Amino acid sequence: MTSDRNVIIAGGGRVGFQTAEILADRGHDVTIIERDENVVAEIADEWVATVIQGDASNPEIIEQADVDRADAVAALTGDSGLNLAVCLAASELAPGVRTVVRIDRAAGESYTRFVDAVLFPERAGARVAANEVLGSDVQTLADVTGDLNIILVRIAEGAPAAGRQLAEVRLPDGALIVSDANGERIARSNTTLTAGRQYVVAIEPNVADEVMNLLQG
Amino acid sequence: MSGESRSPNAELGLLDATMIGAGIFVLTGLAAEIAGPAAILVFALNGIVTTFTGLSYAELAASIPKSGGGYAFVREIFDDLASFVMGWMLWFAYMIAGGLYALGFAPNFLELLHVYGVVPPPGQVGAVALPVVDAGIPLAFLLAFVAVLALVALNAVSTAASGSAETVFTIIKVSILVVFVGFGLASPMFSGAEFQPLFPAGGGAFAILPAMGLTFIAFEGYDLITTVTEEVQNPRENIPKAIFVSLGATVVVYLAVVTVAIGTLGSGGLAEAGEAGIAAAATSFMPTGLPVIRNGGALIVFGAVFSTLTALNAVVIASSRVAFSMGREGQLLPSVGQLHHRYGTPFVAILASAVVMLGSVALPTQSAGNMASLFFLLSFIIVNVAVIRLRRERPDMYRPYEMPLYPLPPLIGVVLNLVLTVVLVEFLIRTDPLALGLSAGWIALGGVAYVVLRRLRGRTGRTASAGTEPGSDTEMSPEVDD
Repeated sequence: MTSDRNVIIAGGGRVGFQTAEILADRGHDVTIIERDENVVAEIADEWVATVIQGDASNPEIIEQADVDRADAVAALTGDSGLNLAVCLAASELAPGVRTVVRIDRAAGESYTRFVDAVLFPERAGARVAANEVLGSDVQTLADVTGDLNIILVRIAEGAPAAGRQLAEVRLPDGALIVSDANGERIARSNTTLTAGRQYVVAIEPNVADEVMNLLQG
Repeated sequence: MSGESRSPNAELGLLDATMIGAGIFVLTGLAAEIAGPAAILVFALNGIVTTFTGLSYAELAASIPKSGGGYAFVREIFDDLASFVMGWMLWFAYMIAGGLYALGFAPNFLELLHVYGVVPPPGQVGAVALPVVDAGIPLAFLLAFVAVLALVALNAVSTAASGSAETVFTIIKVSILVVFVGFGLASPMFSGAEFQPLFPAGGGAFAILPAMGLTFIAFEGYDLITTVTEEVQNPRENIPKAIFVSLGATVVVYLAVVTVAIGTLGSGGLAEAGEAGIAAAATSFMPTGLPVIRNGGALIVFGAVFSTLTALNAVVIASSRVAFSMGREGQLLPSVGQLHHRYGTPFVAILASAVVMLGSVALPTQSAGNMASLFFLLSFIIVNVAVIRLRRERPDMYRPYEMPLYPLPPLIGVVLNLVLTVVLVEFLIRTDPLALGLSAGWIALGGVAYVVLRRLRGRTGRTASAGTEPGSDTEMSPEVDD
């Protein structure tokens, strides 16, 4: 099994492009399908993903994105109907592929009959906003205001850092293991990174792929 | 804390024609041996041949934002087997190139020591003193071996050597070569008579073809550019520019250097000096009695030592990156695609590359050059085919840079590279069956590795896919929202 995933993202707008950037930072291969010529040129200038110019609901275009080899398809355009069509077409062309669909209203449950995951960015944003407004001590794990990512990572079996104490593992600058395996204590130098357990990790985007390699192999 | 952490992977600069220099220092003498004064044509024609592949690299690199060089591009469009073959060959090409540069480093280093009288002359022109040769060969071999070992160790435990000094290195190397050309042209020894007759007696114009095959590796720098680039601003302009500027600069510098080397020392003298040809030419005309360095030739010899060492360092990194990418893609053992938990380097990939590199130091320099060139030629053919295939199968893929006159450049690239491959193989059959046998052996080994790895992967792949759902082990909350 390869640890770098091939991901197709339909829609290179704000949601789609940010998603692509995060995935590419972590070392995954991303292909974006985008219809608008100007947006295509902007994405290409960022040099984070291969871009197919065309209508994502056109099976020919989906095939050009190499859906056969993709691990996941995320339809993230602003049009729920189009997104669902993209995911259905992708599942038809490549039955094993993981599908994620972006919707624009809170009616997600019914969609999960057809796709693997449903995403409602406005609600997700609202939840973060609510947290910020309340200023509570308990924050949902999410992007902090800047570029820093707070992520829950499960240590993979056989990863370079698996089974080692933190003191032995030299993480790059810009990465920090925050919690121990139970999520009860802040990680210490004698904390052991046990395979299969989850840890809260704070990462700057430019070292995300390196850290993922160490923790996930 | 600061003592325990380290900087993230350093980015390599874009305008790094890392290969500039090393190939010319090591291979000019060997090219002169085969082609005589026509060595100048050899380098000029190779520059033309490689330009077509350069166009393909420019188009692919601008539209496929992956570091990993030719392997990454081929992986994008070809099936499992074809991309494995590409990675396998490119990996080998870099490893053998490592052996080649180490073998080029050793005699030049001995020459440098000799200039300062530390050691006796290394196989001086027309050397009859057999004891010197006898003592010199093992010493050179030992030096080459130690050089590889040291750079492998350095890169295995630290990412420091893959730092951003490459641009400075390139400027130093080019400056030294410019000094060489300047003094050479001004020297009374420089004479156009050395170019008569252009072609070696009996060989005719076709004698230059094998020499082209041998020296082809001197032009493979742009695969390195695309291997190391991670962050690029304005790729549609900068990537093609980086490729064409480094290619153009390489051709201009090489032609000037070869012209001077032949014009001063003559092709016969160059051929006898072998891997230290440029150094020998330089010591013949550079001014002596200078302060500090005493002999002006020492500067050029230093340039040769410096170029070969930095090139060796570059291919240690490049070969391990190809192996690392293959490991990431599941085309080699997964451990090859993992970073070391303490050093943050692709440790296993570097060690695996080191084994072949150390072995290749035992080869004659010419065999190493031939083998490395052969595998670069083969992989460049695949890269050109990849361009054509991508254009046909993914017409709507956005290409920030599109080569002019498509499909002519990749087609011509395929044909010319193929011609050189055939000539080189034919030449190897006649003169160097060892190199040919080892090359065939590597490909056969690749076939075995492919089958075995596929079996292994099939087994682990089934258990893994049964147990875990993809995406469940890295959670980014809110992951799914209703």
